[in-house]
Amino acid sequence: MKLIEALKIAQRTDAGTTPALQVFLACGFSALHLRTFLTAHLRVRRPEIRPEVSVGLFGDLAGNLERLESSSVGAAVIVLEWADLDARLGIRSLGGWHPAHIQDVVRSAEAVATRLKRAVEVISRKVTTVICTPTLPLPPAFITKPRELGLEEARLHRIVASLSESLSQIPKVRIVNQQKLAECSSPADRYDVRSDLQAGFPYTLHHASVLGELLSGLVETRSPMKAIITDLDDTLWSGIVGDDGVDGISWSLDSHSQMHGVYQQFLSSLASAGVLIGVASKNEKDTVSAAFRRQDLMLSPDDIYPFEVHWSRKSESVGRILKTWNIGEDAVVFIDDNPAEIAEVQAAFPNILCRQFHRDDPRSVWLLLNELRELFGKSEISTEDTLRSKSIRESAVWRDEKNLDGNAVEDFFRSADPRIVLDYGRSYDDKRALELVNKTNQFNLNGKRYGHSEWRTFFDNPNAFLLTATYEDKFGALGKIAVLMGTASAGTIHVHTWVMSCRAFSRRIEHQILRYLFEECGAQQITFEFQPTPRNGPLQDFFVGLLGGHLSNPLMLARTAFFAAAPPLFHRVEVNSHV
Amino acid sequence: MSDLEGRLILCFSSVFPELTETEIHNASTDSVGVWDSLSSVTLAAVIQEEFNLEIDPEILPSLESFEGFRDYLKTAAAAHS
Repeated sequence: MKLIEALKIAQRTDAGTTPALQVFLACGFSALHLRTFLTAHLRVRRPEIRPEVSVGLFGDLAGNLERLESSSVGAAVIVLEWADLDARLGIRSLGGWHPAHIQDVVRSAEAVATRLKRAVEVISRKVTTVICTPTLPLPPAFITKPRELGLEEARLHRIVASLSESLSQIPKVRIVNQQKLAECSSPADRYDVRSDLQAGFPYTLHHASVLGELLSGLVETRSPMKAIITDLDDTLWSGIVGDDGVDGISWSLDSHSQMHGVYQQFLSSLASAGVLIGVASKNEKDTVSAAFRRQDLMLSPDDIYPFEVHWSRKSESVGRILKTWNIGEDAVVFIDDNPAEIAEVQAAFPNILCRQFHRDDPRSVWLLLNELRELFGKSEISTEDTLRSKSIRESAVWRDEKNLDGNAVEDFFRSADPRIVLDYGRSYDDKRALELVNKTNQFNLNGKRYGHSEWRTFFDNPNAFLLTATYEDKFGALGKIAVLMGTASAGTIHVHTWVMSCRAFSRRIEHQILRYLFEECGAQQITFEFQPTPRNGPLQDFFVGLLGGHLSNPLMLARTAFFAAAPPLFHRVEVNSHV
Repeated sequence: MSDLEGRLILCFSSVFPELTETEIHNASTDSVGVWDSLSSVTLAAVIQEEFNLEIDPEILPSLESFEGFRDYLKTAAAAHS
């Protein structure tokens, strides 16, 4: 992005109702164009919010961090440079580069790094904190040639690496990956010496733009994609299993097919992080089953569900897999070596991201895996991630329930031994709840998304509450699958946000949540901030079932109307009230 | 209006979005209240990027108006042609 574009984007005026995201940018140099680029990239990333990036005082990183500790922003961005660890590592300060000075620089850098770590620990208790460790080259202050790493230089790098390691273990801290930064901004083209001297801004415009983009992506993370549908022949393995036989397919160096093995272990890694993996293959089922019994496969068949293996069109397989997963096509990547298959799937599902597996081009596969890591990457693996694939398999049992009639349905529900844990309170520090609200589409009251600051601000209202539901039954646990945010006063509850994971459909959990609000919270009436969205059909169906007819905002549900329409509920309910 | 002048107006407009085109033509550090040292640095950076040149740091402090920048750019363009 050019500076002129960034200025235009950053200055764009919004409707007064656009929610603000307040970000504090703390750095020791003049924030100048970095502030502009950060603001612009935040706007591009999330057009529905109005980023307000404030900065501290020039040359006072320690003071800026102190100000940050006591401010009430939605996110903190801390950009370090070597001169922040010791001013003698910059060129705006003439403190001497004698070897004895440099030894002192290292000692002082160590102490500053320790103080920084403590400050970040405090700040990150309150807000998401994004940190970038030094991006500029060290100055020519060392006696070795630039090509040779000397002891003091190595110690400085160790101090920064140690700081990164410590900070990466703190929840809510996100660190810019220097490897990614180097891909987009060449280290040799980052430092603007003249600008550093004249304006105290040390970055070239390109570097400032790249850094602003990476920082914005860590302040406002997009929900990762959810699933991959992969082909088998000449994709998951090299060869055509139907022609070459189970022992004829390969994924090894010896067979010049190593990248297929790399792809397998990559998919296995994604599966362990909760990404759904499905197979769409034109093959004989028994042949594929035999192939998956090979012990040297890097991807377990347990990591895959469902398998669509037959001779029908790939688009039919994809359609069935999407139905099984019950997720939108825009959360899915389809991978196949055959361009014709890709074209056929893309025509049927325009919103699926299709990628070709170039079996004879290792570099292309390498780039594909890096792209997939960008699409599916996440900061940590939650309990729900580890349960997702298993619970979708188990959901098949619940889908079959729809084919039962009358008493058989009720018997089925009762025999499932469903258990719900409801947590009622005011704590906004629930990452899973915020994640659910921001990624759920189908059972979603109005599609509203929240930034961290909006989420926190909501609970400034003394009547605000957060209700979450965690579910399990004899078929397995689903984890935390529903979130409801509202305000309660004088017998009326107003629901601002309500979402439930599609994995939890058909279990009457939504009914149990409303029953709790009526019976345990004493509500006589509940109003809902309803908005139809292109994707919240399942929520609309639910309310039509309760209220009948046309849905309008706000929806109003009286206690008597709910209990007249609600089906029998068999859950064992445990309530944890944190008020 | 020349292409150079049109591009220069866009640069000014990105730094001083509240100015009209006419006001930009007459803009100077005296006439534009918000034209401070920070704006000068930003304006210089935008112009250098837009015109792919480095403004001589000795001359930069004397560029205090739209007209001054326009003349500087014309001279620089002539020197390169």
